[in-house]
Amino acid sequence: MSMLGPAASVLIAESLTVRFGRRIALSDVTLAIPEGRVVSVIGPPGAGKTTLLRSFNRMNELLPRASTTGAARFRGIDLHDARVDPVDLRRRIGMVLAETSLFPGSVFDNVAFGLRAQGVEEDLHGRAEEALTRVGLWTVGAEILDAHALDLPAGDQRRLCMARTLALEPVVLLLDEPTGHLDPVSAAAIESLIHALREDCTVVVATCDPALAGRISDLTAHLDGGGLMEYGPTRELFTNPRNSRTEAYLTGRAR
Amino acid sequence: MIPPPPPGARPPFRRPLGVVAGIATTVAVATALVIALLLLLEARHLPGPGFLLDPPSRLADRAGIGPALAGSLWLTLLTGLIALPVGVGTALYLVEYAPPTRTARATLAVLTNLAGVPSIVYGMAGLALFVRGLGLGPSILAGALTLSAMAIPIVIADSRAALLSLPRGLREAAFALGATRWQVVRHQLLPSAAPRILAGCRRALLRTMGAAAPLLVIGPVSFITFAPTSPADPLAALPTRIFAWSARPQAGFLALAAGASLALVLLSALLTAAIGALAPRTASHGDGPEAVRRTASGPG
Repeated sequence: MSMLGPAASVLIAESLTVRFGRRIALSDVTLAIPEGRVVSVIGPPGAGKTTLLRSFNRMNELLPRASTTGAARFRGIDLHDARVDPVDLRRRIGMVLAETSLFPGSVFDNVAFGLRAQGVEEDLHGRAEEALTRVGLWTVGAEILDAHALDLPAGDQRRLCMARTLALEPVVLLLDEPTGHLDPVSAAAIESLIHALREDCTVVVATCDPALAGRISDLTAHLDGGGLMEYGPTRELFTNPRNSRTEAYLTGRAR
Repeated sequence: MIPPPPPGARPPFRRPLGVVAGIATTVAVATALVIALLLLLEARHLPGPGFLLDPPSRLADRAGIGPALAGSLWLTLLTGLIALPVGVGTALYLVEYAPPTRTARATLAVLTNLAGVPSIVYGMAGLALFVRGLGLGPSILAGALTLSAMAIPIVIADSRAALLSLPRGLREAAFALGATRWQVVRHQLLPSAAPRILAGCRRALLRTMGAAAPLLVIGPVSFITFAPTSPADPLAALPTRIFAWSARPQAGFLALAAGASLALVLLSALLTAAIGALAPRTASHGDGPEAVRRTASGPG
């Protein structure tokens, strides 16, 4: 994990500032996310973690009175360029929201929705099987497809949220509080899934749990009050934080 | 193990509330039963089954509601065809598409107030706009347009409330999966909001179906002897027919008014059943309180 070779940046934030009305949610954040790594964004609630993640798939603009200055780039392309289609972008930069928000309907309906939205009509069952296998929901076999999504236990619901995003084969996966409100067993399952995911895509995780960030990520960024406190290789940041607020947060003496 | 309440503490306020609720329910049910009983008692004196198809007549024992019944069916059908798409479409636009500008807020305020405008005022507007302005005369079409104007604000208000009550996560999750706004609306928001949207449509259509005032304003209660076969035919409707008969002193006409009222109640029940049959089984798995709870929040 510590062997960080040189890697091209897949996502870049340049002096990124996001406001909702007069409230500044993200303030002048500059960081680069290398391809094929797991990057954690830690910080207390309200630090701007979710806003940073949502900047990368242009989900902030769905909220009222959102405005962005600075730049967010995906493989060098300015995401706010007029030629960038946010719908197309969200198909390549997948996101799993912090709240479990499954669609009323079957497990299959949930996985098929995103695929159909992309115009994929062929082999929906095969793709659903593959995605559900990756998250460990295929253990009971094909009958899982007909289960009602909202009848699943909380941990399985979260995994289904991951599966329906993974089915779209995103280049980058944005995970907002992937283990929040989960029991330890389900959380561990999600964690090992994130480990496995680094084979296929870049993963950005927002979490208020530093311990999780320490276990899963190559790089860690610490946000506080909308500003970037510190960003670097996870081991360095955890063993020798340079920012006093980062040190305070990691040791539980926050604020 | 539970400690006893401290001395002098009031017992929890539970039973009296239950009693009040019970009395309220009894009063409501009793009122409905009394109305039904009175109508049935009056309707005993109806001339016979021909009453349903016969045209109105100067003689009570030869009169019927044929044209009025056909007119009400026409009016409800046309009002549904006009008001429901316009109302639901406007609500969708306001909630999902319109930028939150001052114009949008002003539009919303106007529409909210329109839903509270008395029905007779819609009659005045219909008289000026459709009967005279467009030269439609006191026709079925002019009546349907007037009733549509009355129904649209109700459909908008209820559809808007239905869309706004959906969990935000539903919308966001669909967008995050790369769906276009139309795909989000068509495949997630509309199906989830459909039961409440349909309830609003039913409310609007029931209100217009029973409205006499706006129809009385746009034209005299016609004494037509044939059932309308096209929207251009003269206006006839059950509520206005009830009004005309109830003003006559002879006992026979009171029975006719009661019979027409019963027909109107039955027509309303049929409409409710038809809309109920339309409602999609969104919670196909386990309807009932469980399904309601799940769609309301969802765990996590």
